[in-house]
Amino acid sequence: MIRAAIIVCWVMAIGLALFLIAPLLVIAAASFSPTPVFDLPLTGASTRWYGKIGRLDGFWPSLLLSLEIALLSTAISLVCGTLAAIAIARGKLPGAGIFATALVSPLMMPGLVLGIALLQGFRAIGFTAPWATLLVAHLVITLPYVARTMISGLARFDFTLIEAARTLGCTYPGSVLRVMVPALAPSFLIAGIFSFLASFDNYPVSIFLADVRTKTLPIRMLQYIEEAPDPTLAALSTLILAGTVILLFVSDRAVGLHRMAGTSD
Amino acid sequence: MSEGSPHLVVRGVSKRYGPTTVLDHIDLTIRRGELVTLLGPSGCGKTTLLRAIAGLAQPDTGKVELAGRDITNVPPHKRNVGVVFQSYALFPHLTVAGNVAFGLKVRGMARREIDIAVDRALSLVKLGHLASRRISALSGGQQQRVALARAIAVEPDVLLFDEALSALDRKLREEMQVELRRLLQDVKATAIFVTHDQDEALTMSDRVAVMNKGRIEQLAEPRELYLRPASLFALNFVGLSTRISGTVLAADNGKVDVETKVGRLSALGNFQAGSPVIVAARPEQLRLGEQGESNSAAGRVRSVVFQGSRTLVEVDAGAGESLLAELSGRDGAIPRVHDEIRLSWPVTETFAFPMEAQA
Repeated sequence: MIRAAIIVCWVMAIGLALFLIAPLLVIAAASFSPTPVFDLPLTGASTRWYGKIGRLDGFWPSLLLSLEIALLSTAISLVCGTLAAIAIARGKLPGAGIFATALVSPLMMPGLVLGIALLQGFRAIGFTAPWATLLVAHLVITLPYVARTMISGLARFDFTLIEAARTLGCTYPGSVLRVMVPALAPSFLIAGIFSFLASFDNYPVSIFLADVRTKTLPIRMLQYIEEAPDPTLAALSTLILAGTVILLFVSDRAVGLHRMAGTSD
Repeated sequence: MSEGSPHLVVRGVSKRYGPTTVLDHIDLTIRRGELVTLLGPSGCGKTTLLRAIAGLAQPDTGKVELAGRDITNVPPHKRNVGVVFQSYALFPHLTVAGNVAFGLKVRGMARREIDIAVDRALSLVKLGHLASRRISALSGGQQQRVALARAIAVEPDVLLFDEALSALDRKLREEMQVELRRLLQDVKATAIFVTHDQDEALTMSDRVAVMNKGRIEQLAEPRELYLRPASLFALNFVGLSTRISGTVLAADNGKVDVETKVGRLSALGNFQAGSPVIVAARPEQLRLGEQGESNSAAGRVRSVVFQGSRTLVEVDAGAGESLLAELSGRDGAIPRVHDEIRLSWPVTETFAFPMEAQA
């Protein structure tokens, strides 16, 4: 009976994994297609679509913009989110619970609604510079990821460690750097990765704030697929996929994937 | 500075948190090489006093001097104190040796000297073989030793222990008490322990400061504290006692005669006639039977608790008063429950305390 249950579980797990991974495999396979139209079975392999990525119209500015926005918003969120999390986790702030909920609430908001709201809000106050509005919008997207991760990380952090470091000769800022930051390194890494990925592949919010010259990579990619659906896009997707896998693999080596899933140690 | 001279001086230190007075004009002088315990119930201010000495809490008024230097406004990292915390507060991302080396690295000591100092500190606490372990791989007792080694390694002017042994189980705690005292005497450390455990206080310290409501009620050697408690609170907090309430009939040169519900008793103390007092005596002073020139009272045995070398006998003396006697086998027959007995005890071991001071 239990044996049967275990078999059913495994079949479901494998089936689910296949269902999730199969499209990604198709994309990867399509990127090596020798012909502009992807067709199974493959009649050979070619890497010429990878060579074409760099020649895509407006590719490099979009990639740079996306990296810029993702890295900047992640960096700012890490600092602000951590400071906010400290205030909340130390529990001396009146209404800390409300503050925490508000901070994390954009996570629960549909991206489209958030995008329209931000667009209209920015317009209303005359804040229309595309690059700056994109950065602020992405801060709204990334801050909850950082805040949520850091609040749970700090909840397990013993602030006596900072006092111990101070009595051993560290200044207060020195104690934070030498003790709190290393002790929370896993949380920082997880927060940083999720924040970066959330910003880098965001479409629904960015689309409302982008203009002709300021287009993030996801927006540009959707445009390509409308204009010329050839395997170049599959090649680009495969590269992004590979980058993500490498990022996750490296951080798994560093801190363990189980901690990223929030199941703690 | 020579041994025995004032090393740590606390002068008129007060601290309030909102409407609560946590420290109420504390004066405390500790000599070099002395082991002193701050003993009291939770909320008596003992931990706040320790934190004020460490620099982790800023007193509202008063001064703290350490090794001849006014440190009242010196931040904790420049005070050269060593603190062992109740939770040990070991750094989880560092090894055992990394924890012990932390304070030395911060001080910018050369690597070779650090290695030597770490080895010495770890061998003092008998953990040399675990130097490269991670903190999470250690038992509670081992973590306690690492915390001690880390505090000792920086050669602090004073070592502060905040309920440092309370997380250990009873047997380990008792072993550590003896070992820690010997170790601290070996390295000639000046140390302050904060605890609510009277056994720990009596075992570990040269002097004990009994604290209550932000004040030091009594600062005395353990023996004196037990034999000559200065207040009813000190009497109650350290050891057991028989306590009987009454009214002073006559006072004469440090001695009082007190009318109680169990008869007339004499005690040491200075009171005016008519004052309500509590008369008290330690249980081992009470003997079976009548003896000349001593206090005595009779009653029916309520309970007999055998405790190995001694037996605790509680006697119902009527009128809501009870007597507690600690009898050893040498005192002859141990009474049984419901026996009618008479107990007596010397007047010179009987104390009177003002009634209103009852905690």
